[in-house]
Amino acid sequence: MRMSDFEDLPLEKQLAVLYQQAIYVGKCKKGGLTLLLFQLEYFYIEITYTSYRSSIYKIHYTESTSILEPYLEQIQVEYLVT
Amino acid sequence: MVKPATHKNIVFYADDDTDDLELVQEAFGRYTNNVEVVTARDGVQALSYLQSMDEYASVPCLIILDINMPLLNGKDVLRKIKDIPPLASVPVVLFTTSSSSLDKEFAKKYNAGFITKPLDVSQMQIITELFIDHCSDEVKNKIIKRFK
Repeated sequence: MRMSDFEDLPLEKQLAVLYQQAIYVGKCKKGGLTLLLFQLEYFYIEITYTSYRSSIYKIHYTESTSILEPYLEQIQVEYLVT
Repeated sequence: MVKPATHKNIVFYADDDTDDLELVQEAFGRYTNNVEVVTARDGVQALSYLQSMDEYASVPCLIILDINMPLLNGKDVLRKIKDIPPLASVPVVLFTTSSSSLDKEFAKKYNAGFITKPLDVSQMQIITELFIDHCSDEVKNKIIKRFK
């Protein structure tokens, strides 16, 4: 699926595609908001919740890997090397 | 780790994500008369609790494991508990943000359920019923009957 095709889907179908096909990348918190990042083929989808898994504030799509930065910072390297 | 205080049916849930721990505890809230959710925050803590149980006395009716946990992941915990006699027959569900077919295959190999974490909390009640559906018929009937 191309990112533009995903963008054209209604929210309910976007969530269904994410749930069934996307790869979970990580979770982070910013100023009281909770963000979940997923990868779908070559692009990323970030869901921002005002209330965790309950109230979606926005969905952001990008092909840029810079979106990974706040998530990579949270990976605890000691668990990967032990 | 939160230890059980009563002799209710114990649902054991291990997850390093505090938001998800709360979500599942809240989802089982409607069954609090006969279900107690016992939690652990990583795989080592989970295994330590499960290995320390009295024989059959406090064996959970269901074990729910997140896959991505620090120290010992959910798949390793599942492998190990299948070697612990009182636990080998306890139903296990991998509850994860993953929808990977490899993870699903792994769950199948170890005779465990596989449920992907919801993106919307409104799905949690259905998921809780799916959790209960993995319990033995005896436990399932007890929980549902007493709830009705």
